[in-house]
Amino acid sequence: MPTTPDPHHLTYDSTAAWLLRFAATAESVEPELTALDQRAGDGDFGTNLTGGMAGVRRALETLSDAPAADRGSPAVPLATAARVFLDDVGGTSGPLFGLLLQELAAAVAANPATAGTRELAAGTTAGAAAIQRVGEAEVGDKTLVDALVPAARALTACAQDTEPGQALHRAAVAAHQGARSTTDLRARRGRASYTGDHARGVPDPGAMAIALLFASYDDALSALNHLP
Amino acid sequence: MSASFNRSLSHLVIKELTTMPRYFADSPESIVPDALAGFAAAHADLVSHHPDHGYLRARGGSPERRVGLVSGGGSGHEPLHAGFVGAGMLDAACPGRIFASPHNRQIFEASRAVAGPDGVLHIVKNYTGDRINFGIAAERLAHEHIPCARVLVDDDLATDSEDIAVGRRGTGATLIVEKILGAAADEGRGLDELTALGAEVTRRARSLAVASAAHTAPGSGSPAFELPDGVLEFGVGIHGERADGTTPAVPLTRLVTAMTERLLAALPDGSRRVLALVNGLGATTSLELYGIHHAFTKALEGSGVTLDRSLTGTFVSALDMRGFSLSLLATDDELLRLWDAPARTPAWPR
Repeated sequence: MPTTPDPHHLTYDSTAAWLLRFAATAESVEPELTALDQRAGDGDFGTNLTGGMAGVRRALETLSDAPAADRGSPAVPLATAARVFLDDVGGTSGPLFGLLLQELAAAVAANPATAGTRELAAGTTAGAAAIQRVGEAEVGDKTLVDALVPAARALTACAQDTEPGQALHRAAVAAHQGARSTTDLRARRGRASYTGDHARGVPDPGAMAIALLFASYDDALSALNHLP
Repeated sequence: MSASFNRSLSHLVIKELTTMPRYFADSPESIVPDALAGFAAAHADLVSHHPDHGYLRARGGSPERRVGLVSGGGSGHEPLHAGFVGAGMLDAACPGRIFASPHNRQIFEASRAVAGPDGVLHIVKNYTGDRINFGIAAERLAHEHIPCARVLVDDDLATDSEDIAVGRRGTGATLIVEKILGAAADEGRGLDELTALGAEVTRRARSLAVASAAHTAPGSGSPAFELPDGVLEFGVGIHGERADGTTPAVPLTRLVTAMTERLLAALPDGSRRVLALVNGLGATTSLELYGIHHAFTKALEGSGVTLDRSLTGTFVSALDMRGFSLSLLATDDELLRLWDAPARTPAWPR
């Protein structure tokens, strides 16, 4: 049984529910992400994301079978998802997603009992930095960085006592705006850079997926709140 | 009736002939895993294979070593990198699929396994996929508090252009970097010192390659590109990517002399002593390579530099490409000492 959701702090149940909701969303939009990537990349992004999230769901189900006391901190689902994406997902965007999850997990693990908006901001900022270090992409290169950097800024701009749900909602709005801004860009990094002008007029699927990740917390939280 | 039957039959036979795979393998997919298993068995005294994590690791090695040396990259460049795993060179190598970067997990697991008290150094050829996957592995190592640094090998003169944002490719000089860093690591040098040495070796090394025929693509069994008779691909890479130009096939001495002049001009100013590497790209015979060696040393003598050391063989290949690369390293006494230090690996020829 999930514990009563605490709106001010992240819990094991809230981060697990967030990721499970993202898994469901990713699965439902896989054809759309694949279609975008076929025009703007090499077409494997939707499959890699859905495959990765299916792996995350399996790993979380195994964890959730454990007694509540053994499940541990809200960092555990994030670290589990990070490991799946880093270890088991092919392509480039999947493991880069894993870097974001790894930084979120580390930030939450630093203050597991009181983790909230501050840790989400720190983890997202560190995740954006890690992805930029590795992928050498800047904002405007038509990659997932175009959604992630505005999301990190939105989280950082939130007051520390902002509820995580509210903060992640703002991050989702900023990420969505950033993802939409990639539509008219010509890719300079990533696989889409090889397709040149063919990718114009199409938003970057990785950026769209980042927006969906942040939006999924909102959905998950309302689902948790409506539990009997 | 019979004419059309014969025509369709001959079409079928011709199709089979032209698509007949040239590689000796059960299937294109089995080439790499079967070769790794065979390599590990053939050199069981020198390396151990960790198929679950996808890396080869040296057995034994210097107890002085404080930094683990890890390299890797696409398969198809044999004996690079696995052939240089062993005492005095690499601690581990991570082979990817043919011409594809290894997965970050292979690099991460290999690095964790061989990291010394001062961490791990990644030797990375400059290709986008390799940079990203080694980079992801480095981020993961940082989370485990394992110090990690990188030496990026970018010696290919043909891709030395301001128009190429990703920079020069990493090719033949990778062998030189792996040998010299291996010897330095055996002296117990730290991570920062090795990283700086690797950057310095890379700064002093340049390579240039030509081909008279492309490699055979393992999937289709056909050449990666077609070259007309009497034409050489000048400035070719090691993945079958086209060069930016071709050149008429001139006599070898003229070709090698022209390549030597370009290489010498690209070395740091004032380089008077060199190490020369003649490298086969896969299908060039040993007979030809020694002829190339002869032309190379004559060209170097003619240009007035001192040839300190030389090495000839197939070390950094491109499947069965008919071609060769020439590399020069601007040497000094210290680099020569490290080059001369003993090493024992499956493919190091001394």
